[in-house]
Amino acid sequence: MRYFAVFVLVLLASVPYTLGPGVEQSLVTLFSLVAMATWWNLLAGFAGLTSFGQQAYLGVGAYGLYVLALAGVDPFAAIPLAAALAGVVALPVSVAVLRLSGGQFAVATWVLAEIFRLAVTLSPGGDTGVSLPGISGYMPLLRQALVYWCALGLAAGSVLAVWLLARGRYGLAARAVSADPDAAAASGVRVARIRRVAYCLAAAGAGAVGALLFTHTLYVQPGSIFNVQYSVLMMFMVLTGGLGTVEGPVAGALIFFVLQQALSAHGPWYLVLLGAVGVAVTLFAPRGLWGHLGRPLFPIAHLRET
Amino acid sequence: MLELDRISKRFGRVTVAEELSLSVRHGDAVGVVGPNGAGKTSLFGMISGDLAPDAGEVRFDGRRVTALDASVRCRLGIGRTYQVPRPFTGLSVFENVLVAAQQGAGTRGRASYALAAEVLAGTGLADLAGRPAGRLGLLQRKRLELARALATRPRLLLLDEVAGGLTDPEVAELVALITAARARDGLAVIWIEHVVRALTATVDRLICLAGGRVVGDGRPLEVLATPAVREVFLGTEASADALTEVERDA
Ligand SMILES: Nc1ncnc2c1ncn2[C@@H]1O[C@H](COP(=O)(O)OP(=O)(O)OP(=O)(O)O)[C@@H](O)[C@H]1O
Ligand SMILES: [Mg+2]
Repeated sequence: MRYFAVFVLVLLASVPYTLGPGVEQSLVTLFSLVAMATWWNLLAGFAGLTSFGQQAYLGVGAYGLYVLALAGVDPFAAIPLAAALAGVVALPVSVAVLRLSGGQFAVATWVLAEIFRLAVTLSPGGDTGVSLPGISGYMPLLRQALVYWCALGLAAGSVLAVWLLARGRYGLAARAVSADPDAAAASGVRVARIRRVAYCLAAAGAGAVGALLFTHTLYVQPGSIFNVQYSVLMMFMVLTGGLGTVEGPVAGALIFFVLQQALSAHGPWYLVLLGAVGVAVTLFAPRGLWGHLGRPLFPIAHLRET
Repeated sequence: MLELDRISKRFGRVTVAEELSLSVRHGDAVGVVGPNGAGKTSLFGMISGDLAPDAGEVRFDGRRVTALDASVRCRLGIGRTYQVPRPFTGLSVFENVLVAAQQGAGTRGRASYALAAEVLAGTGLADLAGRPAGRLGLLQRKRLELARALATRPRLLLLDEVAGGLTDPEVAELVALITAARARDGLAVIWIEHVVRALTATVDRLICLAGGRVVGDGRPLEVLATPAVREVFLGTEASADALTEVERDA
């Protein structure tokens, strides 16, 4: 299995040389979907915190990248910095939002993302959007290939990171917290810390995706990057793929990607079909498609040593 | 080791504790009885940190723990079970116990696996280790509550009706388990139980709670014989039966 994964990665990494910019472009979209869904799943699937506000950190990542690039940092080198910035911004925010849980938490994160959007819109020149500075030094073909490799690295790195977290000591505690926070605390789990770590890591992950999207589109607007649609999309992918599994978000991202490619030409019908798929999966396969059909490729269970 | 200093707690007009004071020493085995709604489970909540008292103080090993989080109290050595079992569904039986061994007892790696396996064997759950905790029957859920609490390596164990709803042989098995754990770890136990017989076989001190107050405290049979306790108990037919049974045993 591991060799197969490495083989697939090598194949994917060679795409800029083999299949060219067209395929490259759409795979960047797929990879950012995988990364987005994977980090949302760490929060909702493993730590039990359903957020509708991850677009706040997509925005922090993108605008963080803007500020860094403006200051002269190379845009590609600035992606991890923008991600770290999103994680740091999330820390004080977590103190406020983690006082809430369930639906209140979801709404609070959404409201917060709106506040972030307003803050950016109201800042000088913020309402019209900005172009990425410092990118014109790259030749288009090279730039696109770099964006592609960053996207691939981000997707693969995110899946690997969440897998390592989920299968370890932290992941076990997080799953206990999401099952029953009070009983988890009574078993010694530091519930607040577990949630805070998940929240900040998920924010950093979203920040990386936001920064990456900016290098891809070269232009960002508060109205689009801070759109709640992103969180809805993350939820759709994770729920259809399989909440609380490592493979689920990847499967969900693939499903969404295929539906989008096949149907987006049909306009609104595409949205109707997406909704129908979402409803059907929640009704007939509440553990998600991977949860019902797949066998864990990235196991997280702790087995007794015999 | 544990001291409750005039703790009070109300839910609206319901008083679950009123200026309640209590102290438990190392290695004690204390039984708690009382009618439904007497505030027994709430008392455990205030000891374990699930519930904050309105007034008063909780001390553990001389340290004020009233404002400490439940997870901190667990790490200090207070383990509890829930009256209505609360397994971590979605985790296997083994993982339920492992998380307590890692987080509550602070063990890591192989040591945590060994501790979890040892507790599972000791509580008769070894064969069910791989089963999802959500798919256990009542007896097994109660055992899992006990196993999870033991895996935190407590020095004070709070048992909330672990024998409730079980048959006599099952109760006997549980009593044996708890007695063994006490002998091995020298831990103190506070045990809430409606099955008075299971209690009197294990504890050397009995407390009767009613309306948020201690109405009896002392040797089990003496407490059961005091008029105030009798009055509380005779209120309910089942408890009255239990009382006569215990007296017959003695
Ligand atoms: N969270 C809560 N909110 C409101 N009232 C509560 C709450 N928890 C307990 N109560 C009330 O407090 C009283 C004491 O409850 P508690 O569970 O401590 O009783 P108990 O002695 O354990 O009873 P039982 O023998 O039935 O388990 C009950 O009347 C109960 O309804
Ligand atoms: Mg109770």
